[in-house]
Amino acid sequence: MKEDLNPTDAKLGMLLRAARVSPALPPRFQENVWRRIEDAEAPVPSASGLSWLDALAALVLRPRFALATVTLLIVAGALLGVRDGGQIARQDAQARYLAVVAPDSLR
Amino acid sequence: MNRSLVILLGTLALAMVVFGGSYAMSRHVGERCLTQPGNDLAWLRQEFHLNDAEMARVQKLHEGYLPQCAAMCQKIAAKKMEVEVALNGTTSVNPIAKQKLAELSALRAQCQAQMLQHFTEVSQTMPPEQGRRYLAEMQRLTLGLHEQTEQSMSGSMGHEHHQP
Repeated sequence: MKEDLNPTDAKLGMLLRAARVSPALPPRFQENVWRRIEDAEAPVPSASGLSWLDALAALVLRPRFALATVTLLIVAGALLGVRDGGQIARQDAQARYLAVVAPDSLR
Repeated sequence: MNRSLVILLGTLALAMVVFGGSYAMSRHVGERCLTQPGNDLAWLRQEFHLNDAEMARVQKLHEGYLPQCAAMCQKIAAKKMEVEVALNGTTSVNPIAKQKLAELSALRAQCQAQMLQHFTEVSQTMPPEQGRRYLAEMQRLTLGLHEQTEQSMSGSMGHEHHQP
């Protein structure tokens, strides 16, 4: 019986190929394939921007960087605030002195 | 929206809040610490770096000047009332109103001269360099505004005073 199932048998091979059912292609199959190939090969304009944003986001999420930035912001805000507060106090003091020694009608 | 963009925008907002909070708090604290309520001469001490002896002399001059200034202010206020009465109900500047205006101007000039005299005396109690600076600053603050007004008026009216 084994001799009857020889895979190299040409006649059997032809019969098997003829018996295989090939499914019908979906509509506009070829066009869609080419479109997908073109999309894959086309350069993505925002790809570099996205990677840059990702890198920056990763940087700001690093604890050491975040801590240093917060410290810097607090110190800068405090220095500017003290300077401006001093200036306002000085202007108030000057206005108070002027109001006493130089009445408004003379200025 | 992109996740990275959301993170960056959130971080930026947080940074602004941190900086703004620190600035506002420090400014408030700085202003409160450096303000000396009730001390009219605090500016002189701070600005011209006066010591206790110099401040005592300034204080004495200041206390002597205040009653004179108050009396002059009362005279000016009374004269302004007289001007208003003279102008009340008239459609033109009558001779009485003109006379009252002239008297008011004379009183103001007298008061201004008295004030400048006081500034000069105060400046003489300070170290020379500080005294000069004080006098220049007070003249700028009290007389400068008139000059600015006159300059702006002459500019806006198209007047130019040419020297012959």
